[in-house]
Amino acid sequence: MSYVKQLLGMFFLVIAVCGGPFMLYTVKEEIVFAPENVVVHTVYLIQQIAGGSLGTYYLGENERSIAEDIVPFAISTFELLFSSVLIAVVASLVFGLFLQRFRIVRHLQKGMNLFATIPDFILILVSILAAIGFYKMTNIRIITLSPTSDSANSWFPMTLLAIGPTIFLMKVISLKYTQIGGEDYIKTALAKGMGVWHVLIHHVYKNIKPFLLADLKKTIAITVANLFIVEYLLNVVGLTRFIFSKSGAYQFNAAVMGLLGIIFLSILVYLLIRVILYLFERAVVYK
Amino acid sequence: MQKRMNWSLWIGAFLVLLLLIVGVIGPYVAPYELDFQEKLRNEVVGGKTVIISPPLPPSDEHAFGTDKWGYDMLTLLLHGAPYTVFVTLAIALVRLVIGMGIGLYIGVQDKPQRWWLAIENAWSYMPIFIPVYFLLKGVSINPLMPTSTLVALFIGVVAVLGAPSVASSIRQKTEQIKETQYVLAATSLGAGREQIIFRHIVPHLKEQLIIILVTEMVAIMTLMGLLGMFDLFVGGTKMTMDPVLYHSITHEWAGLLGSYRGFVYSNYTWIFLTPLVAFVWAIGSFTLLAKGLREKFEQTYHRTPFI
Repeated sequence: MSYVKQLLGMFFLVIAVCGGPFMLYTVKEEIVFAPENVVVHTVYLIQQIAGGSLGTYYLGENERSIAEDIVPFAISTFELLFSSVLIAVVASLVFGLFLQRFRIVRHLQKGMNLFATIPDFILILVSILAAIGFYKMTNIRIITLSPTSDSANSWFPMTLLAIGPTIFLMKVISLKYTQIGGEDYIKTALAKGMGVWHVLIHHVYKNIKPFLLADLKKTIAITVANLFIVEYLLNVVGLTRFIFSKSGAYQFNAAVMGLLGIIFLSILVYLLIRVILYLFERAVVYK
Repeated sequence: MQKRMNWSLWIGAFLVLLLLIVGVIGPYVAPYELDFQEKLRNEVVGGKTVIISPPLPPSDEHAFGTDKWGYDMLTLLLHGAPYTVFVTLAIALVRLVIGMGIGLYIGVQDKPQRWWLAIENAWSYMPIFIPVYFLLKGVSINPLMPTSTLVALFIGVVAVLGAPSVASSIRQKTEQIKETQYVLAATSLGAGREQIIFRHIVPHLKEQLIIILVTEMVAIMTLMGLLGMFDLFVGGTKMTMDPVLYHSITHEWAGLLGSYRGFVYSNYTWIFLTPLVAFVWAIGSFTLLAKGLREKFEQTYHRTPFI
């Protein structure tokens, strides 16, 4: 029951957010705040959904059906989102936890922290610049902006998208590592002569896991925020197309569907990462 | 313990000071008028007539070059600086005030306030730029209102929407302090709620509040940058229809970065790089300051791991 409540709450939150342009507008130099306008649009949207269609949207000049496009768009967004979050989780576990005790990894992290001073979207912009410069120098193409081109690659946006969450999660995990590493039970375990890997897996990992899970949601939220930028700037055909139209008028139906789609994808990604972590534990920790 | 120089703090503080100075005097020291435009002209160079057309690359006349329409980049940046610095500061201050009001009030309650915790929790997963974008989109593009109203509206919307996260960290800290022995002692001596808040909790929060203020400024600048990527600029967007182009009305740095981002693919990269460098300087100096402050305050709690 509570899940249904949460889903309903999410639906209305999305409606409220997407209804923004109808709620707040200007008439003759005066700001008008009219939340009731959203209700009209919502009723229309629900009518359309009840009628078995998701409505239409404009892509440039063409009117297209949302239902037709939402599945391929969602799949490409999902690939991007899932692989980036997975990269973030794996990288931060490996470098923030298991290899943290090597000095070179700690130096690497210091470098990453320096990197993290710059906001993610600027890193994304700079890497576009770097990719163009790289192409000019070596003629090797790592960035393709035309989504229909044969050489369109997905690893470049994937890597860019992974930067933000990796920096965040690695910081959290290495902070917790420093804290837990100073606990008395670690000292006891080491004094008893247990191996470093044993201590890492059975003492440190198990104690970091709750924090990892708690911050996993935040990690996904950060990834989603960056997802809009990556898809928008790198011309990835994904759900962002529904939400931010590059030109033309605002489209309520498409924006609602796009945001709902992204929320469902993030829940899916969260569950999948949980499954992967569970499998990892079964294979390594509790074998 | 050997005392180490806190470089982040000093460099950050210096850069922030510089930024504040630029923010105050920027428009007065700008080399050109805001509406000065380099026009297409012929010039005789070494006996040959050369057509000079904007964008002009960086030169003695234009330190950072001009944009595609012939406006001097340095002038635009200097005129935009006050908006970048002071809008950010204003939003951070308003957020802090709202957050303190809510956080302290909720934090000292005897029972946890579930409704507020639910809001905090749900809101923490929402990238703030999405609600801000949708709320301001209808107002901000080709605005009918004066710029000052729009800036005030922007400050209000961003401050209110971002306040829950500030309130959250203040609430958590308040709850921690509330459990301490000296608060218990004060309560048993008959101290009222105000007494506890102002005599015991706020003095302990002081350091935290400074850090929150600076971190919030970083977050707000990031937010403005993100909105700029989607053509929503502080103080309004001027949109031309044929071709579809977006211009920042206030020439605020995040806005300049957003409106010139297309030049990343052109040969005139300075048009894109100039606002980028300015913006990174602004955001980087606050990040450094925040890092330095945090290091300064956290030295007391430092622990070294055994492995």
